[in-house]
Amino acid sequence: MSNPSAGASSKSKLGSSQPSETSFKRKRGVFQKDLQHMMYGFGDDPNPLPETVALVEDIVVEYVTDLAHKAQDIGSRRGKLSVEDFLYLIRKDLPKLNRCTELLSMQEELKQARKAFEVDEEKLGTLE
Amino acid sequence: MKQSKDPFEAALEEQEESPPDSPVGEDELNSQTPNEAQNQTDGGQNILVDDDDDDYDDLGPTIKNPSHPSSSSTPKLHSTSVNASVAAAVTNKNKEYDDDEEEENVDVELSKFPSSADPTKMAKMQAILSQFTEDQMSRYESFRRSALQKSNMRRLLVSITGSQKISLPMTIVVCGIAKMFVGELVEKARMVMTERKESGPIRPCHIREAYRRLKLEGKVPKRSVQRLFR
Repeated sequence: MSNPSAGASSKSKLGSSQPSETSFKRKRGVFQKDLQHMMYGFGDDPNPLPETVALVEDIVVEYVTDLAHKAQDIGSRRGKLSVEDFLYLIRKDLPKLNRCTELLSMQEELKQARKAFEVDEEKLGTLE
Repeated sequence: MKQSKDPFEAALEEQEESPPDSPVGEDELNSQTPNEAQNQTDGGQNILVDDDDDDYDDLGPTIKNPSHPSSSSTPKLHSTSVNASVAAAVTNKNKEYDDDEEEENVDVELSKFPSSADPTKMAKMQAILSQFTEDQMSRYESFRRSALQKSNMRRLLVSITGSQKISLPMTIVVCGIAKMFVGELVEKARMVMTERKESGPIRPCHIREAYRRLKLEGKVPKRSVQRLFR
């Protein structure tokens, strides 16, 4: 798998990247901090072992990579990559699918709320 | 604009829209101020309920931090301040963590989110949450608030697909999927640990076994065929 070096170089700020399966040149701890909290939330120790976190990060990156490649394959038929492709890929996994639809609808609501808020602010601004 | 000076908050500020499962403003923020008055009569631990998470863990409400009247001015502000203050708490050591946690829990408020939330479910959630120990509450809070950073995810997706056109919903969705995947991994690793009758922090061997089992169950997308003849 060849990755565009432009994209990869933006990640290799530190030289501490070890060769991983995906041969990414990327910083080791891209998701490390977040992953620690996440693993604690899901049942691990309050301080997970660093090697465990590194392994989980590798697995997650590989998972996302495979997912994205598959989505691209599907999306290429349609022309470009879209959210629908990801949703199609996880259609069998009900919890994930429901969660994603929730997230999307929440995002829509947020957008609406922000728009409404900005309009109000403008009004206030002009009134005062 | 920044209400806490935690460096973690700077990273979180990138999560302008709602991080996957943070109890960010959404509609509640608009309905928040009228609810504040009612909610304080509840006393004790109040939980902000929204239609989040009805499926994955069968949980309804989300925990919201004390909303200072000033912070309810923008959803964005509130979400970053909420996330930041919790994140700040979470990044502290565990012992100090409990103190912060208690303060936040005491001030957490309840507001019934009218949308798809089931009232009986919400009542159940409140009953459960009110009986959480500190430890459980902190873990729950970590669970709700943790998220993969959208910026990092976006960078990763761009480098994978080679295309710069990664929309925001796509990033959010992939972050959500990845988080749930981490959950599956960790939970399965814990199961593996109990089978082997081990305790303590999860070790890489447990994760590997969990990953192997997930692969057998078909929950991990398989690489396309090229690996056949290795």
